[in-house]
Amino acid sequence: MLRPLVLAAIALCTALAPVAAAPVRTPHVEAALIGERTAVIPGESLTVALRLAIIPGWHTYWRNPGDSGEPTRLEWRLPAGFRAGEIEWPVPERLPAGPLMNFGYKGEALHLVRIDAPPDLALGTPVTLAAKAWWLVCEVNCIPEEAELSITLPVAARSDLDPRAAGPIGAARARLPAPAGALSDWTLTAGSVTEGVALRLAPPAGFAVPEARFFPFDQGKIEPAAPQRLVAADGGYALTLPRAAQPVGAFDRVAGVLVFSPPGDPAPRAFTVDVPVVASAPAASAATLGLVAALVAAFVGGLILNLMPCVLPVLAIKVLGFANHGERRTGRRHGLLYAAGVLVSFWTLAGALLALRAAGAGLGWGFQLQSPVIVATLALLFFALALNLSGVFEFGSVLPARFAAWSARKPALDWFLTGVLAVLIAAPCTAPFMGAALGFALTADAATAFGVFTALGLGMALPYVALAWFPAWLAHVPKPGPWMVRLKQALAFPLYATVVWLAWVLGRQAGLDAVVWLLAAAVLVAIAGWLSGLPGSRGPLARGAVGLLVAVALAVAAFPRAGTAPPAAADGTWQPYSAQTLAALTASGRPVFVDFTADWCVTCQVNKKLVLARDDVLDAFRARGVQLVRADWTRRDPEIAQALASIGRSGVPAYVLYKPGRAPLVLPELLTRERVIAALDG
Amino acid sequence: MRKLALALATAVALVAAPAFSATVGQPAPDFSAPDLSGKPVKLSDFRGKFVVLEWTNPECPYVRRHYDSGNMPSLQKEVAAKDVVWLAVNSSSPSSGEFTTPENMAKWLAAKGAAPKATLIDQDGKIGRLYGARTTPHMYVVDPQGRLVYAGAIDDKRWASAAETKSAKNHVRAALGEAMAGKPVSVSATSPYGCSVKY
Repeated sequence: MLRPLVLAAIALCTALAPVAAAPVRTPHVEAALIGERTAVIPGESLTVALRLAIIPGWHTYWRNPGDSGEPTRLEWRLPAGFRAGEIEWPVPERLPAGPLMNFGYKGEALHLVRIDAPPDLALGTPVTLAAKAWWLVCEVNCIPEEAELSITLPVAARSDLDPRAAGPIGAARARLPAPAGALSDWTLTAGSVTEGVALRLAPPAGFAVPEARFFPFDQGKIEPAAPQRLVAADGGYALTLPRAAQPVGAFDRVAGVLVFSPPGDPAPRAFTVDVPVVASAPAASAATLGLVAALVAAFVGGLILNLMPCVLPVLAIKVLGFANHGERRTGRRHGLLYAAGVLVSFWTLAGALLALRAAGAGLGWGFQLQSPVIVATLALLFFALALNLSGVFEFGSVLPARFAAWSARKPALDWFLTGVLAVLIAAPCTAPFMGAALGFALTADAATAFGVFTALGLGMALPYVALAWFPAWLAHVPKPGPWMVRLKQALAFPLYATVVWLAWVLGRQAGLDAVVWLLAAAVLVAIAGWLSGLPGSRGPLARGAVGLLVAVALAVAAFPRAGTAPPAAADGTWQPYSAQTLAALTASGRPVFVDFTADWCVTCQVNKKLVLARDDVLDAFRARGVQLVRADWTRRDPEIAQALASIGRSGVPAYVLYKPGRAPLVLPELLTRERVIAALDG
Repeated sequence: MRKLALALATAVALVAAPAFSATVGQPAPDFSAPDLSGKPVKLSDFRGKFVVLEWTNPECPYVRRHYDSGNMPSLQKEVAAKDVVWLAVNSSSPSSGEFTTPENMAKWLAAKGAAPKATLIDQDGKIGRLYGARTTPHMYVVDPQGRLVYAGAIDDKRWASAAETKSAKNHVRAALGEAMAGKPVSVSATSPYGCSVKY
């Protein structure tokens, strides 16, 4: 009867009893275990902290000590049934040591540990939580120290905050990084960049991040002393984390603590981050759209290949071949093998192209189109292909006809090779398309180029595979006829339009004379095409004449390059870019808007026409005293390439707003009037 | 194009890297520094032999742990018997408060029974920065072709008593063993541990 009362009385007394803890003094540190609450409650958890009070000028280390040093360690000796969690580490300080950087604590370091008590504890009995602690304490020199520590607490039904410990523990808890899930309304991604990894942060709308710092959990990923650069981009921010000079293991996750100070909020906020690093920077949405359009166009192009005069008649015979092959399953397998052959051929072409291109000198997105010689050559190539589509001349087959009848012993290999041969045999018809795809791929990145060729191959192979699956559809295959020739001729006109665009780009790069030379070269190419289209053009004389004409045409197109570039158009509103100009303008204390552009960049022209050249946008710039700078990358310019690299871009368009005291803001590649004005006022 | 630019930049960075810091798998940057008697020692003089570089500082408790336990001296003797050149480098600057004079360095090494082929005084920290040495000890292994095949910690026990040091897996011994047997070094980069190099 009396027992509960007695227990309650004991519980009440012990809840108020002082916490027994034994601090240990070393020459540099006073170490103690402190408990947040006055008692252990059975079945509940409590926070105990290793508190190191460090003498002035000295420091201990965080879980990742940085370039050197050692994290503080705890080894618990707990009564039966108790469990200790891992140390929870408050956000550390950066502690430079010459060229090196350490992460650690000065003054006071608290290492919070959650202790889970078992449910079956007898009330009233004291429990002792003991631990051996090791730490390295350094000023310039380092001293490893250790201590046996313990804290004795009563077991009780209720507990109070210990007034001496709760303050420091609460303060340390406020400096713990929030768990990764706490950033659920943010979007965090990480992508490889040249220097290391870019951590991209998209905070909720209206949330500004003027500065940020990342502390990695692991050594050997990020160079601890290297500055981390924050730029605003695409509605969020990108924090560049330079790769460790001596990397240890793969840098495939960004795991650590992100610390940032929201404006007007004195307390920095910290979050745990753990995101995978994707192989390359995520493409901007505009670029993705471009890629999708290119892939769709290539796929449709591949389908159209099947309607070409030298392909369609063969298609029906081939399909009949494998439809009549007897068993339907065999037919289907042959269809797939054929498709594989087509794809491998296209991939080989793409690979060869990329290898060739990699052997050349590329220094940035669109580099090829920065060279007037390349622009002129591409224009001539497209013109020749268009002439071919118009029927001025025909390409000869790249393979002697007997190869078409060649067959391998193994049927599987045979069908695969049939796919390969189909690409080659169809070359007289496919060449214009392949040429156009090659031209496009030359100026696209490797992944896009590869994707375009894959889509082209899939488009070309799809009808065969479909017919192998459903031979009944053969009845719906359009009959070959003169319409095929008209289709081919009609397809020449988009290519002629492309030639016009390239001629314009060349004119902007190298002036009117260059365009005239290009047109003269085009006339030579037309004569060459006409010559090779004449009956009897197979003779050596005719061939020599054609070759000579093409060579002269190329020479003419490439001739007047040096020194003919017109000066950048002087424009009262926009100042031409130079690093000094930008430095001087940003130092003036007024905002600066930089337009990175190039004439060969279609998106740049669209943005210029629809947004930047609009009177209301220019008025908005004027009203806010924004200084306008145009960095024209139509021609190669290392200074502009450098400026682009410094904002994490390798190509145009790029739009950057510099405001005094703020991280540079990189606007999206596809501008809108509203977005620009919002950025000005943001 | 972006990818290509990236690949090129990486290639440029790799080619340019030895000017700033040593990279595993790349040629180990050459250097010349005076030994304890003032005689210049050049890394490239040992081309054709394996070379171990050890960053050291008698004032550092981690270094003392590996010397007092006999761990470092015995490894030095063990590999010297296999014709491996061991160069100890002290990059402490005279202004750091932990600078050890060549005379005191020689005395300390003798007292510990240490047997490096040479101990180099790098008081301006040039070699240390060239190799990106962060800690004492920080270990590097160079193969006979002059390529860096290992960079990092001496062993896998950051926190150990002198006695426990003996049971640790020594990364330098393992790297030398594999490289001398003509095998690729399986653990070629680890995070070094210890005191900061006192630049």
